Amino acid sequence: MKSLMGLILILFSSFAQADTITIGSKNFTEQAILGEIMAQLIEEKTDLKVERKFFLGGTQFTFNAIQKGDIDIYPSYTGTAYIAILKQSQILPAHQTFLYVQKEYLKQFNLVWLKPFGFNNTYGFGVLKSNPRFQNIQTLSQIRSFANELKFGGPHEFLERPDGFSGLQKAYQLKFLEFVGLDPGLMYQAVVDGQVDVISAFTTDGRIQKFGIQLLEDDLNFFPPYFAAPLIRKSTLEKHPKLKGVLNLLAGRINDDLMMKMNHAVDLKSQPLEDVAQWFLVSEGLVAGSLPASKLNQRAKDFWNYALSQKDYVFSLTLEHLALVAIALFFAMLVGLPTGILLTRVDFLSGPIFALVNILQTIPSLALLGFLIPFLGIGKTPAIVALFLYALLPLVRNTYTGIKDVSPQLIEVSKGMGLTGFQTLRHVELPLALPTIMAGIRISTVIMVGTATLAALIGAGGLGDPIFRGISSVNHNLILLGAIPSALLAIVLDRFLLLVQKLVQKG
Amino acid sequence: MIEFQHISKLFGSTRAVYDFNLKINEGEVVALIGPSGCGKSTTLKMVNRLIDPTDGRILIHGENIRKQNKIDLRRSLGYVVQSIGLMPHMTLYENVSLIARVQKKPKHVVRRRVEELLDLVQLPFQKYKNSYPKQLSGGQQQRVGIARALMNDPDLLLMDEPFGALDPITKSQLHAEMKTLTQKLKKTILIVTHDMDEAFQLADRIVLMNQGQIVQVGTQREFVEEPRNEFVKEFLQSQLGGK
Repeated sequence: MKSLMGLILILFSSFAQADTITIGSKNFTEQAILGEIMAQLIEEKTDLKVERKFFLGGTQFTFNAIQKGDIDIYPSYTGTAYIAILKQSQILPAHQTFLYVQKEYLKQFNLVWLKPFGFNNTYGFGVLKSNPRFQNIQTLSQIRSFANELKFGGPHEFLERPDGFSGLQKAYQLKFLEFVGLDPGLMYQAVVDGQVDVISAFTTDGRIQKFGIQLLEDDLNFFPPYFAAPLIRKSTLEKHPKLKGVLNLLAGRINDDLMMKMNHAVDLKSQPLEDVAQWFLVSEGLVAGSLPASKLNQRAKDFWNYALSQKDYVFSLTLEHLALVAIALFFAMLVGLPTGILLTRVDFLSGPIFALVNILQTIPSLALLGFLIPFLGIGKTPAIVALFLYALLPLVRNTYTGIKDVSPQLIEVSKGMGLTGFQTLRHVELPLALPTIMAGIRISTVIMVGTATLAALIGAGGLGDPIFRGISSVNHNLILLGAIPSALLAIVLDRFLLLVQKLVQKG
Repeated sequence: MIEFQHISKLFGSTRAVYDFNLKINEGEVVALIGPSGCGKSTTLKMVNRLIDPTDGRILIHGENIRKQNKIDLRRSLGYVVQSIGLMPHMTLYENVSLIARVQKKPKHVVRRRVEELLDLVQLPFQKYKNSYPKQLSGGQQQRVGIARALMNDPDLLLMDEPFGALDPITKSQLHAEMKTLTQKLKKTILIVTHDMDEAFQLADRIVLMNQGQIVQVGTQREFVEEPRNEFVKEFLQSQLGGK
């Protein structure tokens, strides 16, 4: 109990930090690298604390997060802002695009664009170099004649955005066979495996080279320029004006090649974000320290060495994960156990209440998380609420069943000898229902440990963080780094609760 | 000591007990007997108010039990049931002392009383206090059930087919013990049974019921020598005929 309170305190104190800047990123590696570079630079040059909420989600999600103030800064792309947020369609040259989004963002959203990092991560069209169909083909226009036999793979949001799939087909006057929505991290593997023929690829992606992908040029200039720059809340900048000077130190320092190289190091060589960001800052002379330049060219490590090098990271994630589960479990028990007991006393309520918790249980976890964002924002709170809701059903149901299963003769004897309703509950019903109730607690806990990995999608951290980073960068080491501890955590907690149950039953 | 006055009980439109009148004297052992569904168990449960009568009143020591607090009433009575109803998660000590512990009686008082009671039902305290019910035979379990009912030293003991679930040998053994026990304790006992032999062995007076009403009240001799009607004769014959 004491340690649980400790965990709660740790968690809430992390919410309450006054001079903390929260840096977010969208759900792919380049974003997280840029976020990490900004984070380390701010930590070096100011006294501010930085909280990282990387790999949050797509454009709309991250944009909502900065508008609501859940995050203060994230790296944004001019083209995305111009088309997807500001709904413009006329393609302008790079500098004019930047000036336009800068002006409109300040006016409409109180968000400030700082100076661009330098590279242009626009869309190209990736096809497999070795595919004979694409021999001698350089531009997208050239595939028009046989596009109707090709499957097109892209991120889900590419289908939604006006500057995405439908606009593209219209502009090039072609029609693909089918659109396959894919996580950005999985597109390359999908084209290599032949599941799709053409993918929308970022021009700075480290995997282009590695997977033998050839980029077809956007010869009709369908896409606007996508220069990346730090996007920051105006109110944050007013509170900490020096952030502007600090972040502008990065202006123009990262060209396409350098960005691709850093993406490559993280995605394909399993280098930690932190190391890559530090390597960049040191080699640019922006922070003191030394790191061997060879860092970026190291071979991918095998899993155990990699895991060992990341043990502090894994440990802190495990604690974070445990805290999410423990807090949600605490509140779920606080609500679920009395509810279960109440239902055994007021039987007519059991129908409607069970219907309600059953429905909660059937909502897909991703949908539930998404649904909670408008009310609770992103971060730990919505994650805990979602876990809490999932934990309810097993708790309520098992408490109810456990008590209902106590033999009616024992209840009658208890009444007959003069126990009050409460005394019967305390001395007879609850002790006899305990194994069933504990089973419910164990089921809830195991469900929550699994579901909590999804919480990383809404910036709650925990062991889902490396899993999603791993998925989006085809990095198995990173996936295992989250998956193995979370599986172990589920087993250990289950065993631990079984032990608690045995102790309680003896005591 | 206990008096039933015009007691009736309806379950919906079914008449379980109808115009039941009976007076039981201090220290008397009375058996309620009859075929299943005759209302004998319902009558017993109205004494500790697990069931309240639709009509009439029950007086204990001249006081209407409807005017008493249910919990206090039950704690002043002993209750033994057929299923024995020992708590499977409690030791013998915990089972016997349950009501006293709930009442927060001093530990040493409780302990002395449990020792006394386990002794009385011939289960040596040291050997059995930490046993769980499932480690005991059926007969031993029912003795614990009786000890539990005696915890608060009640004047009136209610027994609802207390030996119904036991095999014949254990049953006759317990009958003999029970006889000794009742003579020693001098408690007023109301015992529900469907076994005439048991009633003859244990009870001073027997109340034969059928379809919610009393058919005959009397001693063993009265039943055997002056059965009131054909039903009584047939009931006796069917019960004792084989002997």
